[in-house]
Amino acid sequence: MNARRRLIRLATFSMGTRFEFVLVGDDEVRLRAAGEQAIIEVEDLHARLSCFSRASIVSHLNRHGFPGPVAVDRETFDLLALARDVWCDSDGAFDITIAPLMHTLGFRKGGSLQLDGVHPIGMNLIELDDAACTMRFTQPGVAMDLGAIAKGYALDRAAEILREAGIDCALLHGGTSTVVAIGCPFESSGNGGWRVRVHDDVEPRDVILCDEAMSVSAPRGRVIERDGAAIGHVVDPRTKDAAVGAICAAVISSSAAVADAWSTALVVTGARPGAMPESIRSVMRIGTGWVEHFSDEHRAGTRMEAVA
Amino acid sequence: MSGMDRRSFLTTTAGTLAAFALSPEALPAAVRLGASASALPVAVIGVGRQGRLHLAELQRLSAARIVAICDNDSRRLSAGARRTQDAQTYESHTEMLEKARDVQAVFIATPTHTHRQIVQDCLAAGKHVYCETPLAHTIDDAAAIMRAARNAKSLFACGLEGRTNPIYQLARTFFRSDSVRDLIAMRGQSHQKNSWRVPSADPARDRETNWKLDDAVSIGLPGEVGTQQFDVFSWYTDRDPVAVRGSGAVRLYDDGRTIADTVHCDLVWEDGARLQYMATLGNSFEGRNEIFHGSNAAIKLAWNAGWMFKEADAPTQGWEVYANRQQFHNDEGITLIADATQLAAQGKLQEGVGLPDPPLYYCINSFLKSVIESQPIVTTAEMGYRATVIGILSHQAVVSGHEIKIDPQVLRGS
Repeated sequence: MNARRRLIRLATFSMGTRFEFVLVGDDEVRLRAAGEQAIIEVEDLHARLSCFSRASIVSHLNRHGFPGPVAVDRETFDLLALARDVWCDSDGAFDITIAPLMHTLGFRKGGSLQLDGVHPIGMNLIELDDAACTMRFTQPGVAMDLGAIAKGYALDRAAEILREAGIDCALLHGGTSTVVAIGCPFESSGNGGWRVRVHDDVEPRDVILCDEAMSVSAPRGRVIERDGAAIGHVVDPRTKDAAVGAICAAVISSSAAVADAWSTALVVTGARPGAMPESIRSVMRIGTGWVEHFSDEHRAGTRMEAVA
Repeated sequence: MSGMDRRSFLTTTAGTLAAFALSPEALPAAVRLGASASALPVAVIGVGRQGRLHLAELQRLSAARIVAICDNDSRRLSAGARRTQDAQTYESHTEMLEKARDVQAVFIATPTHTHRQIVQDCLAAGKHVYCETPLAHTIDDAAAIMRAARNAKSLFACGLEGRTNPIYQLARTFFRSDSVRDLIAMRGQSHQKNSWRVPSADPARDRETNWKLDDAVSIGLPGEVGTQQFDVFSWYTDRDPVAVRGSGAVRLYDDGRTIADTVHCDLVWEDGARLQYMATLGNSFEGRNEIFHGSNAAIKLAWNAGWMFKEADAPTQGWEVYANRQQFHNDEGITLIADATQLAAQGKLQEGVGLPDPPLYYCINSFLKSVIESQPIVTTAEMGYRATVIGILSHQAVVSGHEIKIDPQVLRGS
């Protein structure tokens, strides 16, 4: 790293986890100012997207989505549309309407969801009208939780703010499970990016990231005990049972929101669905080995190395 | 409150307080339109961080529809537009007033020193105006805004969020009763960890972007942050302070700024009551709050929550049996919440210890009720003017290091 380059670190507690930004550059004052704006964006998005806060836009949509329709701002609408696309491409393995089930199972506590009565699950129960920029639930009892995509989206927005402010070297993560790498911290070493480790008890891997995002999901990340058995926090929305697909899934994409959503989906499916875009790279731990899927186009750009 | 005032107040309120405490009024309902009416077309002028908060709250209030937004920064404008459904964008308020004729109410969240012209233009155009507080960076500008509001045919409200906050309204009834009794002292603070500096893509606009750090127009922490809090103390005591001393320093952000990042103010009331106020950008511990120390109890207000800490020798009131309590080291705070009885009946008292919606929501809702339902304005131009003057003079006390008298005639705008 250039000797005159400075490194500053900022952090905030949002979305039930800790976001940390490491910024590298020549002007510490400018770095801090940019980093603070990115932090503010994350906090604003927490206030907008959390289903645990009655005052959030998501809670507002959960309350009024049926019979609806409800006017939605373009930003939230686009995020819902992205969630719908991943739901569709993953054959329903990623589904933001799983919220009531997660509460019932005990993975979510508190919040503003009304959990009386029947709660149907399925993104097909959310109707999005692009022209009118509205949404509605087609049945009563539907509720959504953007928890599996919002963290990635917040990191995307934070990275966008940093880039607009001229920051060309930074690493951002939310809860150490979703990360965005901007530029390269070691100009002369030839490493080509930020080295991020994917933890694994047997065979940890390092991924070299440059101007892209990665998200890692693993059912063992958080477990609860139910009927004497440990259940991982990723649930298959289609069967309503604990996911049994992959032990761990790391997804690399230009978008942290996309990576966030797909890493959850792959833990459920354990294999890449046919409709999963080729531009999204993935690494899954299935049984005793890692299964990599990098397209030829991206194979040279993203490197994954065994930890020595 | 003086002893005489307090006694006469108790005479009229003591009989109702216990009943009120047992059956507190519900949270204010969101303003609703009649079945045949369409949502009120509104515009937000200035869509930086505060303006975007306005957009978020307005989105949840079905009585209003955001049809236009304004900002002279193209990036902020496009980011703001994405937080609306279908709003038209304008680079200036004059362009918006000329072209967006359907707008009936405007929300002004631009830098403080730009408020005057925008308020005057919007009122002259017949728009109802909600303006963020502080109203202005000079007393002259604040007085001009107050005069414009008085002379306007349309409505004007300022963003004094304490006065429309249901928890603050409830706590004030306790403050003005025997629950707190004689006022001993007051404390307030605003602690945050944020440099106030904003990155500017265009160096030529850096000074404009960082107006809070520009000593030609900034009224510093006492003005920009303290104004809201000083108003709470004035509102609760029904009096304004008569003098202020201050000091400040750049304790953390040594980046060439002259605006202090840490300030202390000592405000004095005519009866000798004092408010010790501290604001800093260098540490966030305990955030923003106001504390009233009384001979029977202390009240702590933290914008989305409030507590009463009773003295051991204070009389017990029946409603306390049902109250939710929170432990703070050696002290136990009784949670002050507006719909406590209803929540207790539903077994949700523990969940409901905080305000369900942000304070800004209630202030905007109150303004919309005035516009749509013809209810009286709760946060008037006069209140905003007085709070702004106290904020400006407190900033001057910090800058000068001298005591500054707060002239009651100036506070009256005469």
